[in-house]
This record gives sequence, C-alpha cells and structure tokens, in this order.
Amino acid sequence: MKGLTRSGAPSIGRRRFLEVAAAFGALLAVPLDPTVAAEGGTDADIELTDWIFIDAQGGVTLGLCQPEVGQGSYTALPAILADELDADWPAVKVRWVMGRDAYKLQFRNEKPSQKEGASTSTTKFYARLRVAGAAARDVLVRAAAARWQVPVSDCATESGMVRNIRTGAALPYGALAAEAARLPLSPTPRLKTPAEFRLIGKALPRRDTAAKTDGSAKYGLDAEVPGMLNAAIALSPTIGGWLVRINNEAEIRQQPGVRAIVRLDDGVIVVADRFWQALRAVQMLDATFSPGENGALSTELIDRLADSGLDAEIGVTALARGDAPRILGQNPDQVIESRFSVPHLAHAAMEPMNATVHVQPDRVDVWGSIQSTDASVAVISKISGVPEDKVHLHIGFLGGSFGGKIAPDFVAQAVRAAMAVGRPVKLIRTREMDIQHDHFRPNNKGRLRAVVDKDGYPIAVHARVCGQSLFATTRPNWLTRTPLGDYDESMVDGIYNQSYKIPNFHVDVIQTPLPIPVYFMRSVGSSAGVLFWESFITDLAHKAGIDQYHYRRHLLRNNPAALKVLDAVAAAASWDTPPPPGRARGISFDTYHGRGGSFVTHVAEIVELVRKGDSWRVARVFCAIDAGLVVNHNTFVAQIQGGIGFSLTSALKSEITFNRGGAEQSNFTDYPLLSIGEMPDVVPIIVESDRPPQGVGEIMVAPLAPAISQALLQATGRRPDRMPFRPDVFKVTA
Amino acid sequence: MSIPFQLNGRPVSFDGPEDTPLLWVVREHFGLTGSKFGCGIGMCGACTMHVDGAASRTCVLAVGNVRGRAIRTIEGVAADADNAVRKAWNDLDVPQCGYCQSGMIMTATAMLADTPAPTDQDIDRWMTNLCRCATYVRIRQAIHAAARSLKS
Repeated sequence: MKGLTRSGAPSIGRRRFLEVAAAFGALLAVPLDPTVAAEGGTDADIELTDWIFIDAQGGVTLGLCQPEVGQGSYTALPAILADELDADWPAVKVRWVMGRDAYKLQFRNEKPSQKEGASTSTTKFYARLRVAGAAARDVLVRAAAARWQVPVSDCATESGMVRNIRTGAALPYGALAAEAARLPLSPTPRLKTPAEFRLIGKALPRRDTAAKTDGSAKYGLDAEVPGMLNAAIALSPTIGGWLVRINNEAEIRQQPGVRAIVRLDDGVIVVADRFWQALRAVQMLDATFSPGENGALSTELIDRLADSGLDAEIGVTALARGDAPRILGQNPDQVIESRFSVPHLAHAAMEPMNATVHVQPDRVDVWGSIQSTDASVAVISKISGVPEDKVHLHIGFLGGSFGGKIAPDFVAQAVRAAMAVGRPVKLIRTREMDIQHDHFRPNNKGRLRAVVDKDGYPIAVHARVCGQSLFATTRPNWLTRTPLGDYDESMVDGIYNQSYKIPNFHVDVIQTPLPIPVYFMRSVGSSAGVLFWESFITDLAHKAGIDQYHYRRHLLRNNPAALKVLDAVAAAASWDTPPPPGRARGISFDTYHGRGGSFVTHVAEIVELVRKGDSWRVARVFCAIDAGLVVNHNTFVAQIQGGIGFSLTSALKSEITFNRGGAEQSNFTDYPLLSIGEMPDVVPIIVESDRPPQGVGEIMVAPLAPAISQALLQATGRRPDRMPFRPDVFKVTA
Repeated sequence: MSIPFQLNGRPVSFDGPEDTPLLWVVREHFGLTGSKFGCGIGMCGACTMHVDGAASRTCVLAVGNVRGRAIRTIEGVAADADNAVRKAWNDLDVPQCGYCQSGMIMTATAMLADTPAPTDQDIDRWMTNLCRCATYVRIRQAIHAAARSLKS
C-alpha cells in the first residue's frame, strides 16, 4: 500500500480480483460453503432451471434471489425448491443469484426488478419455485428412466436420488444432471400434493443460525477487499443543504491514515486506511454548509401544515360509497369525531448503512447490505459509467433493513468515494448519519367523523388523512389519478380498504408536500392508517357501550375469513372472561392488502396491560394470523414475536422531529429502541387456511398500537391520540 | 508503543494509538469481524467482548486500557464447541438478522458466569443490549435453557 497516491492507485488486476471474490465468496455462502464463487457458480456446474445448480460431485446448490434481512428467506425459499426437487435438504447449499428475469418481481405496476420488500418474497416466488423444483425433478427422473430403459412410472425420488422402484437401484442427482440438462423442461410439471410435502409447512430450523452465533456470518460491514480503504461521511445537517467549504482541510489531511477528502454536493467523505481513522477525522471536520431552502423546516411547521389539511374544505377522494358527506352534514349534532397523529420514523436497523465498492474500467463490484438489488445497480452504473451488466452486487446477510436499505443513496456515496481514490472503499455510516439521514417513514394525521345508528353502529363515516406522501416522493407513477388530483393510497391503507360493513363511507386525502426524504418502512402506510381506523372504531364502540370484540364481530358479520381470525384471538385470550383487577385489554383487527393486490392476510391482536406500581405496562400480546399456507412455522412465529417488539418500539418510543431543517435525533440516546425488559410475552396463533402463502413480515405491526390505546382507554379512561404513547399516558389514574 | 494483550487465549500486540477503540483493533487489525459496530457510544452492545471475563462495550473502550488483559470475542466463545449459551441460541433459533447476537451471547455468557440461575429480573438488568428485530422472547428462553443445562 505504501507509496500510493490518493488518486493514482493502480487498480487491482482482474485475475487477482476474481481470486479474492472466490475467496470471499458470496457473503451469504461463506459460512456454509466457502468455495462457491460469488455468483453464477463455476463452469462445471450443471444448471437445471434458473435456480438449481448441480456440480460433478452431485452437490446441489439452490439459488436465492431475495436478500436475507432476518425474515428467513435464506431458509424458506430454498426449502420450497428443495421440497419439489426432493433434494437432500441438510446437504444442499444456497447461494446468492441475480441478473435473470426469473429473479424479478413487481410490487405494483413498476418495471419488474430484483428486490425484496412489501412482504412478497414467499407469496410471489412460491409458485415459481415449486414449478422450478418440480421441473428439475421431472428431467432427472426422465434421465434416469432413459438410462435404465424403464418407464418413468418405475422411478421415484428421495433425498437427492432417483430410485428404480422395481430393482431398488439408485442414481444420485449428480450422476444424472448432465443428461437431465439436455432434456426439455416441462412448463407444467406435476406438483406435489400437500400430503407429499416434506419441508413446506413444517417448522424448519434456520439455515443461518449457526453462522449467526459463531461470528462467521458475513454482513456488508464485514466485507474485505485487498487494497481497500475505509471511509466515513458527514452530510449536511439540513435537508437539501450543500457544502460551502471545509475550514480545516489541511488539518484533516494530516490526521493519521487519512488518504483523501472527497467533496460531495451535500457532504464530505474522509477516506483513510482504517475506519476508525476516517471516523476520527470526520469527527474533527469543520465544514460550512449552506442550509439551502429548508432551513426553517420544523416539526411545528409540519404539524401546522397537516392540521390545516385536516380542516380543509375538500380533499382528493379515495373512496366514495353512499353519501357520507351529506349524512354527516345533515346531522352535525350527532357527529362523533376523533383526530390522530403519527410522526416521521427512522428505520434504525442494527447494522448501519454501508457499502464497499471497487470500480474498475470494465466492471464494478459492490458488497453491501442492500435490499433493492436492481435499483442499486442502476445508480452504480449511472455514477460509474460502467454498463449495468458489468455491475456485480455481492449481497451478504443484512443486519436488518425494514425498508431502510432500499434507497441506494449510501451506495452512491461509496461509489463516489471509490472513484475519487481509485481504490476499493468501504463506506460506513455512523449511527448518527444512519438516523439523521435516513429516508423516513412519513408523518400523517387523521380526522375521522361518523354518524351512528340507534344501536351505535356507523351509518356514515368520513375519514380524512393528511401528511407527507410516500408515493409522490418515491413512486410518482403509483399515485392514483382522479379528476380532482392524485392521491397516494398508502396514506389511507388500512382505511379505504378496511373490512367493516359501513354503508356510507367517504375517504379523502390531502398531501402536504415536504422536502423530507421518505421511504417504505415495515407495514408502510398501514402503521398510521390502522391506528387511526381501529382507534376510531374503539371510540364508536366505547360510546355505544358495546364490548369491543363483539362490536367488531358485528361489523364483520358477513366476512367469515375475518371472523375466524378475530374469534381465534378472542378465544386464545379468553376475551369473554373479564380480566382480573390490575389487568386491562384491548383488541384490534386488520386485513392487510398486499401492494397491488398481491395478497390478503387477516390479523387480530389482543394486548394485555398489567398494572405495576403507578403505571400500566404492556405485558402480553396475542396475535392471530391467517396468511394462507405457512411455509416455515419456525420463522413465521419468529416474525410474529419480533414484529410485535418492533411495533412496540414505534408505539412507545420512536419519533423523529425536525428543527432548523434537519432531524433532531441521532442515536439510541434520543431514538431509543425497546429493551428486553419491556418486551411482552407473545402468544402467536396460526389460523390455518388452504390459500397459498400470503404476506407475513409486516402484518403484525399495525394493529398493535390501536390495541394498546384501547386497553389504555379501559385502564385509565383516556385513549391516547398521538404516537408515540409517552409514559404519562400509562400512568394509573385515580 | 506496542500494547500487548491476549486475544482468545493468544498473545497479541497492537502497534498504534492507545485511544483506538478495542472494537476496531479487533475487527481491522486482527480480522475478527464477529463483533459488530452498532452505535459507537457503548449503548447497543453489538460490540460486546469479555475483558478478563467482564462484558465490555468495546466501541468506547480504548485499547490502551486493556494492556495485559484477556480479551475474548464471539470467535473465542465459538471455539468451545460445548458452549451452553451458544448451543441454547442455536437450539431455539434465536437470531433473525443476527447482527446483535454476538454481543447478546457475550453478555449472556458473562451474566451466567456471575449469576448461574438468573431470574427474569436479573435478565432485564444484565441484558441491556439492543435488538431491532426484537428477538427478546427467544433470547430470554435461551438464557433460561443455558442456565438449566449448565446446572445439570
């Protein structure tokens, strides 16, 4: 490394690079199989479909196109393939694959691309992987039948072998792969019946656990490329601000290990030999930023904007059933109204955003914790000028994401740093940069108004949501067009598509454009919409003096699938037996509609509060879900347990506020996470149904907060209307 | 200005500034990347290692302070195939994203050495590490399971 200048470093030769890539492997594959190359496998591999690779020794490697962010894709998706293939599950290897149409999906109407999100991995790939596994099994069987000169019906498969059921002879898949690969794949192979499943629908141990408990699992943070430098970044404290000057550049350059200072429009990257050297230098940096146009942005302003929208004369109509505005207008004295508010949130995954980039004239290699594969490739290509098909992503385990590692800005910054120094660079955001410069979950406010019948059930409801639009900022072509303007259905998700029977229902939306970068976060708009909606239903039932569970039952009376889930949670929690003194309960329901109608999952939750000293605390959560067929019961239960904890963090703690144009929170001191002592017991209830797999990962998040707020209403007589629910609302009242 | 210490039972020494955080010495100079960077202020515990057996947040621990001491990382714990804590973690499939789990296992191991039969309250007091996936239900179960197996 000695003698290299900042910009004149010789590039590492391609051959050397490939050796490194092979040694480093696909990050994912490392703990389980250090020899598998980064992607594409070796020339010796025989490919059966886009997903199944068999080497000469008979080893079966399955492709994984959906990043493992903790949700269990690394286990569940290969298990679907392996089951239909009748592979030897304990022996199969898994490796990261990318770049083919088979790996792409659409959340909605966008161009298909490879990415993970919207709770769709299992839903979207279930059929595709089953067909791929079954088609591969089919050609292996036909190859064996040809070899033995027997009918296909004489051949059976098990654990990676074809067996001749008459003679007992057996051939491993490896011995048949070359012949099988020459046979045409059937587009409609026979699929297993559920009774034949050996992996699907069971509780499978995770394939990645051992590597995650011995320190060997490789995350983006752990990428190591020969000749690599390390970088830390300081970004404009103001959204949209720009770098004016660095006041102590000479001093920074003299710091130990510092190799380069890279100026960005909106920040400074310091590149050094070691990360801690870069970090220290960045902490010493004295840079002047212009606040730009947004220097006056504050939470007070954001709140005022949203409040004024709530009271605006009209909004953009998202749903108009019957004539709710007229009924409400004719009965002003009978209108029941509630208002709610949720703040911006940061994703705050445990692994801060990072990327390692190696730019060469003919290719770019990037290692990192990246949730949206193709979007990153496009950005990398644009900045580096290297064609997209020469951009190679090596995605390891992600240390959490929750939607936060979709926006590829941190990848772009690492590319700029690597290009500036002409050497591989790993850029790691500090926690402060990760939180302050996140793409946040947008704020929202809701105003809900209803007129009820003589029994207290809603005749007419008008729901109005106002806040920053996620789609307008990130996916303008996902906005719904109407004559009065566009609206963002994610802002009313869980409201406009709610399941209760409401004869007259009007839903409208008002966007308050803000310069704040926003993005999808686990459960997206429903994290606000379901709070508003279910809390309002709580208010209506409370006013009517009707039990919360039975009120909801009545409104779902024509929806047996929904009732099944609601009844399951009520039965598990013995809802109809009143809680003993010192305990209080709340119930909530949601039907989660996958983006673009991709799935329908029903969820019901009951929160149990326990009185402890002068406060109530969330002690137990029952969560019933009908998500169709559950591929892996083990990770399904883990998602419920963890999702409840994730949601409780938002309910109790999380709030990003803005002042002087920037986010005020920067680390776990002021953006705290739930601790183990605050974690409730979780009782998962899997409601079986014969539908194919529906979305799971985000589903349990949204109903928690309204169940808590309802339990607080029962416990304290007050229902909080603003997230997060601060400790004062948990105080025991006299 | 070499700083000698033991790393997973092996004598090593670091030539560099005394105020370098131990986390980065172990990750960048000794190549053991199982310990993670999470917050940089000693709050989340992803960087937890043992210093003479005590669970320590190493993103804020200067290497100059561990001169002559015994450092153990997750790689050191994993080298012991019979480690009860790790075994319990594996049996219960505790990790989701897994990023915090090295630190969790290090803290739990130190706790069980000090408090072999922890109550839930002991666990709440000791386990101040943070997990964004909120794997806390299984962490608690795994600690109790490890305590039971250590007892027998």
